[in-house]
Amino acid sequence: MNGRIQSSSPDADGALMLAQPSGRPDFGRLIEAVAQHRDRQAFAELFAYFAPRLKSYLIRTGAAAGTAEDFAQEAMMTVWRKAALFDRERAGASTWVFTIARNLRIDAARRDGKALRELDLSELPNDPAQPDQILSGIDDEARIRAALEALSADQARVVRLSFFHDKAHAEIAQELGLPLGTVKSRLRLAMIKLRDLLSER
Amino acid sequence: MTIRHKPSEETLLAYAAGTLRAPEAAVVATHLAFSRSGRDWVRTLQRVGGQLLDELPTSAMSPDALQRVMARIDADGGEAVMPAPLNDMLELPEPLRRYPLGPWRWLGRGTRVRSVGVPRDGDCRVILFKIDPGRKMPQHSHAGVELTCVVSGSYSDEAGRFGPGDFEEADEETNHRPIVDSDVPCICVVALDGQIRLQGVLGRLLQPLARL
Repeated sequence: MNGRIQSSSPDADGALMLAQPSGRPDFGRLIEAVAQHRDRQAFAELFAYFAPRLKSYLIRTGAAAGTAEDFAQEAMMTVWRKAALFDRERAGASTWVFTIARNLRIDAARRDGKALRELDLSELPNDPAQPDQILSGIDDEARIRAALEALSADQARVVRLSFFHDKAHAEIAQELGLPLGTVKSRLRLAMIKLRDLLSER
Repeated sequence: MTIRHKPSEETLLAYAAGTLRAPEAAVVATHLAFSRSGRDWVRTLQRVGGQLLDELPTSAMSPDALQRVMARIDADGGEAVMPAPLNDMLELPEPLRRYPLGPWRWLGRGTRVRSVGVPRDGDCRVILFKIDPGRKMPQHSHAGVELTCVVSGSYSDEAGRFGPGDFEEADEETNHRPIVDSDVPCICVVALDGQIRLQGVLGRLLQPLARL
């Protein structure tokens, strides 16, 4: 158990990681400390955990190590700057950091190489969380982990690659040595299953 | 308001993951502004992204990385930058109001266009169309994928009727000539790769003006 995601993808080598032990720091509280008190110690703890993962994240997308290092620093700058927008009822700390990285990536991936646009976290309207969505972070994470575990190894691999690759399908097909159609149908089945397991209603 | 046409699962996943190009992401964000269930699902997918981030192995940062970030924070105060001011089109949903808009340009009878200041990605950019009732969309090539979201009014093509919030994905295979069937102008936002090709002799004369 322990939230292990099965995969034999050559890409996923190190992704065969155990889930965090339940004793990990409350990252949500640390982000709030940065927001409220500009707490540098809290930020250093966040940095120690997230920056090396953000760097891996960008390396997975095909970036060079130096670019990934800059990206991770930029994303952590944004964590500091936008900490006040963090709302633990709406997203767990890891999800929030992921969306920061995601926004930064959309901007950074532009091929014209111009300076980054300031991130726009207001891209999605702020819905008031509904009572049944206010799960404790732990429950929510457990649910997501369980859903990922319920996918077949092949499906989980395609979902993971979809999160990490640009121009997803053609590249994924190439990487896995599978026809494009197979990748697409596998992803579609995985999404149906995830919807089934994770939709609110 | 009922949304009848939604983005494909792949498109929503790519949006949540951040693998869409910025112009495409802006059109999906427009659709999501109309769709509560779509937003909920994207948030769920982003939780999946958070989980996958947690599971990633670590890559060592350079020893002075934290110091450098702190120095930058000290240098610029580290305060959030004010969001971009809103543009002049009250009828647009929030994600589009944060982008600067180009001037309206005339593109044939009953058809106006303006560019939306979403950063281009290669040839792909975002264009806002405003087309009068009964008019057809200008014929255009589909050099790549084209994403459309209706903001107000409606149009019909062989895939059905598209009203506010409805989303259409067209590719090289698609050959459509949507016609506006609402009694108000149809405003829609489009992420487009190819050039718009105007028809007829007049169209060819105007073509240089139509480059966006």
